[in-house]
Amino acid sequence: MTEHEAPEAASDFMTPIDKVLDGIALLCRVITGVSIVVLTVIFGWLVFGRYVLNATPTWVEQAALLLVMVITFLGAAVGVHEHTHLSVAAFRTAAPRWLRMIFVVCSDIGMLVFGLLMLIYGAKLTAFKWGSMIPLIDLPEGLRSLPLTIGGGLIMLFSLAHLVRIVLGRDLRSDTIQ
Amino acid sequence: MGLLLLLGLFAFCVVFGVPVAFALGISAVAAFAFEGLPIMIGFQRIISGINVFSLMAIPFFIFAGELMFHGGIAMRLVKFASAAVGAVRGGLGIVNVFSSMLFGGISGSAVADISALGSILVPVMKEKGYDADYAVNVTVTSSIAGIIIPPSHNMIIYAIAAGGGISISKLFLAGVVPGILMCLCLAFAAYVVAVRRGYRSERFPGWNALLLSFMGAIPGLLTAVIIVGGVLSGVFTVTESGAFGAIYAFIVTLLVYRSLTWENFKIAVRSSVRTTSMVMILIACAGAFAYMLTFYRVPDKTVTLLTTLTDNPILILLMINAALLILGMIMDMAALILICTPIFLPVATSLGVDPYQFGMILLVNLGLGLCTPPVGSCLFVGCAVGKLPMEKAVRTIWPFYLAIFVALMLITFVPAISLTLPGLLDP
Amino acid sequence: ADWRGWNIHADGYPNTVAMDKFAELLEEKTGGEIKLQMFHGGTLGSQPDAIEQVRLGGLEIGNFNLGPIGPIAAEANVVSLPFIFKDVPHMFRVLNGEGGAKIAEGMAAKGLVPLAWYDAGARSFYNGEKAINAPADVEGMKVRVMNNDLYSGMIAELGGNPSPMAFSEVYQSLKTGVVDGAENNWPSYESTGHFEVAGYYSLSQHLIIPECLCINTDVYNGLSDDMKAAVKEAAMESAALQQELWAAREASSREKVEAAGVMTNEIADKTPFQEAMAPVYEGYLEANPDLRPLVELIQATE
Ligand code: NA
Ligand code: NA
Repeated sequence: MTEHEAPEAASDFMTPIDKVLDGIALLCRVITGVSIVVLTVIFGWLVFGRYVLNATPTWVEQAALLLVMVITFLGAAVGVHEHTHLSVAAFRTAAPRWLRMIFVVCSDIGMLVFGLLMLIYGAKLTAFKWGSMIPLIDLPEGLRSLPLTIGGGLIMLFSLAHLVRIVLGRDLRSDTIQ
Repeated sequence: MGLLLLLGLFAFCVVFGVPVAFALGISAVAAFAFEGLPIMIGFQRIISGINVFSLMAIPFFIFAGELMFHGGIAMRLVKFASAAVGAVRGGLGIVNVFSSMLFGGISGSAVADISALGSILVPVMKEKGYDADYAVNVTVTSSIAGIIIPPSHNMIIYAIAAGGGISISKLFLAGVVPGILMCLCLAFAAYVVAVRRGYRSERFPGWNALLLSFMGAIPGLLTAVIIVGGVLSGVFTVTESGAFGAIYAFIVTLLVYRSLTWENFKIAVRSSVRTTSMVMILIACAGAFAYMLTFYRVPDKTVTLLTTLTDNPILILLMINAALLILGMIMDMAALILICTPIFLPVATSLGVDPYQFGMILLVNLGLGLCTPPVGSCLFVGCAVGKLPMEKAVRTIWPFYLAIFVALMLITFVPAISLTLPGLLDP
Repeated sequence: ADWRGWNIHADGYPNTVAMDKFAELLEEKTGGEIKLQMFHGGTLGSQPDAIEQVRLGGLEIGNFNLGPIGPIAAEANVVSLPFIFKDVPHMFRVLNGEGGAKIAEGMAAKGLVPLAWYDAGARSFYNGEKAINAPADVEGMKVRVMNNDLYSGMIAELGGNPSPMAFSEVYQSLKTGVVDGAENNWPSYESTGHFEVAGYYSLSQHLIIPECLCINTDVYNGLSDDMKAAVKEAAMESAALQQELWAAREASSREKVEAAGVMTNEIADKTPFQEAMAPVYEGYLEANPDLRPLVELIQATE
C-alpha cells in the first residue's frame, strides 16, 4: 500500500512479532545449513569406510534420509517466510488490484490450512510410527515424519503472519498489493 | 469427479499464486479426503516422495555447483573458454555457450549454471558492446546444457519417476551427445545473430595465454574426471559421487584457488539449502499428487487415448512434444518430470522408443520451457542478472528457441544421438 | 465393497498372477459382493509404505514379504533370523502350524491379518569372485544387505563387510566393484540381471523369508463369518497357485542363469555358517526375551 502509509500503531504491533519470526527463520537456516554440510561429510565417511577401512558405516544411509527430511521441510518453511518458492505470479500481476488482493489472501489462507493439516496429520503419523524402529540406526520411525510436522506448524505461522501483514497493509511481496 | 477436483483445484491454486509445490500438495490432499482415503496416507506420500536414497545426489550436485560458483571455479572456466573460442565472430556469444557446456559438465542444474555464468559473462558482454538482450538470450538458452550434459539432478528425478528400471549412470552417458549437439546448434545461432548485428570478435590472446588459462581451469575441469572416474572404477556410486563433487570443490576452492572465504562459504551453503528445499518439497508433494493420478488410473487412460487417436508413432511423438512444450511454458521442470514421466513414458515405450532416449526428449523439451515466459526459472534468473525486463529479452530470443527446437527434433527422430554412447560403454 | 490391493511385482511374475487370481476368486466366491482392484508394480508406493497403508486402511489388501513387517510386528521378525528354517518345506510346516498362528496373532494386533502364505524361496549368496563354501570365503567381502540389523549382523559374524544399499544401485555397484556380492533368491538373481555381473551363486539358503497375502484387520473383522470363509478360501487357492508358479519360476530362472554360464555350487556342510550365527541369535533373544519360546518352537518343529 504505497498510497497511504500504514498506521504507526500497527507497525509497532508487528515489529516484535517480525523479529521473533525472523529469529525462527534464522534458526531454521542454521539447522538446515549444518545439515547439508553434515550430509556431505557423512557420505565422504561412508565411502572412506567402505573403500579404505573395509568396514561400511551401516548407519549413514538411514541417517542421510533423516537429514534430507530436515533440510526439505524446515527449508520449505523458511521459503514460505521469505517468498522464495516457485509460483506463477503472472496471473496475479496481470489482475486488477481488487482481484489481486483476493488471489493473495486466498493463496495465504490455502497455505495456512495446508500448514495446519501438515501439523495435525504429521503429528498423527509420528505417533503412529513411534513404536517401530528404523533398522540399522535404532531410532523411532516417527522421526521421519517429525520434520514435516514441525515444518507444517511453521508454514502455518508464517502464512498467518503474511495475512496479518496484508490486513495491516505491510505485505512484503513486491508484486502484490502496491 | 475426483479427478476433476484434483486437476481443477491444482489449476486454481496455481492461478492464485500458491507456490507450485503446495498447489500439488493441497489438491492431492483434497482428493484423498474426497475419496475417503485416510489423510495420513496423503502425508505419508509426501514424506515418501523424498525418502528415496538416489535423491540424495540432488543436494550434493546443487551444493557442489554453488561452491564452484562462489569459490571461483566458474570464473576460471570462462577465462579458458574466452581464450579458446573468443576469436570467432561474435566471440563472447560463443564463449558463453562453450562455458555453459564446460560448466554443465560439472554442475547439475540449469539455474546454478545461469547464476554462475550469467553474473560473470553478462556484464562483460555489455561492456564490450553487446546488446543486453543478446547477452541474456545466449546465457539463458545455453544454461539448459547443465540439465542435458551430465551430471544432472533432473536426470535422477527422471530415473526415479520412471519407476526404478533406469540406470542413472547409463542415463548420464545418454546425455553427453545430445547436450553437445544442442550447444553446437546454439553456438551457430549465436554466430548468425552476432554477424547480423555486427558484433566484433575478441583478439586471440596467443597460445601462451590459452595454455595458461587452460592450466588455471584444470582443477575445475578435474571435477568431471573425478566424478566419472570414481563411478567407473567402483570407488563410489553415482549418488556418492555427488558428495565427492562437493567435497572436491570445497578443497580446490579453499586450498588450490584460495578463493573461498568463510563469507562465500556461508552464502554457498545458504543458497544450496534454499534451492534444495525448493526442489525437494516439489518432489515430495508431487509424490502425493502422482499417487492420486495412479489412483484414478490416469497413466493407463492416457496411453489408451493417445493410441486410439492415431497409430502413427511420429504423430504421437510430436503430440507428446507439443504437450510437454506447452506444459513447460507454464510449469517448472522438476514437477513436470514427476507428473509427465509416468503418463508419457508408457506411451513412448509402447511405440518402441527407448526410455533413455525418451528421457532426453523430455529433458530438452522441459529445458526449453525453462527459457520461456510466463514461467521459466532460467529466464527469470537471466533477466535478473542482465537487469532486463522479461518482455524485452523475449522479443529477440526466437533464433535461440529455434536452435533448441532443431536439436529437439534431431533427438526425437534420431535415436542414435542418445543411445550410441551408452551402448558403447555400457552394453 | 470395492477393495484395492498392492503388489510390488511386474506382470507375469508368480505373485502378480496369483494376486489377479485372488481378485477373480474373491468376486466369484462372494457372489460379486467384493471387488478387488489390483495395483501391481508397486505403483502405490514402496513396500514399507504399502504396509503402512494397509494398516491405516487406505488399502485393503497387500502381498508383503515378512522382512519389512519385522520392525512393526516383532513376531514376524523371527523369520529374518538366518538359518532359522531348515528348508522351504520346513518353513511351510511351521507357518501352517502353531508357529504360523503366533506370527499371525502378532501381525493382526498391528493391523495386518495374513490370509495365506506365499513362497519367496530361499536367499543365497552371489558374488563375482569365487564360490563360497565356508565362512572364511566371505571374509573381507563387501556384501550388499537389506536394511535389517539381523542381516548386517549375519554378514559381520561371517567376517564380511555388510553394506546396506538401495536396491536400484546394486547392479551398477556389483559391476564396478563398489560391492563384491549380494544375496537373493533365484528369480530375483535372474530378473535383476545381477547374474551378468556376479557369476558365482552359492546355495547357502541362509534366509528363507515367506510372504503373506494380508488384509487390514478392521476390514477383516467387519466381515460376516461366511464372507470371512470366502475370503480365506480365495486366499488359500491363490496361495496354492502361487507356490506352484513359484516352483516353476525358480526352475526356469536357474536354468536361464546356468545357461548364461553362472557357476552354482551346493554348500556341502552348512554347520560352520549356522554356528557362526550364535552371537546374532544371542543378541536378538537378549533384546526380545519374550520371543524365545517362538524361536524354540520353530527350531523344534519337524
Ligand atoms: Na550437468
Ligand atoms: Na517456462
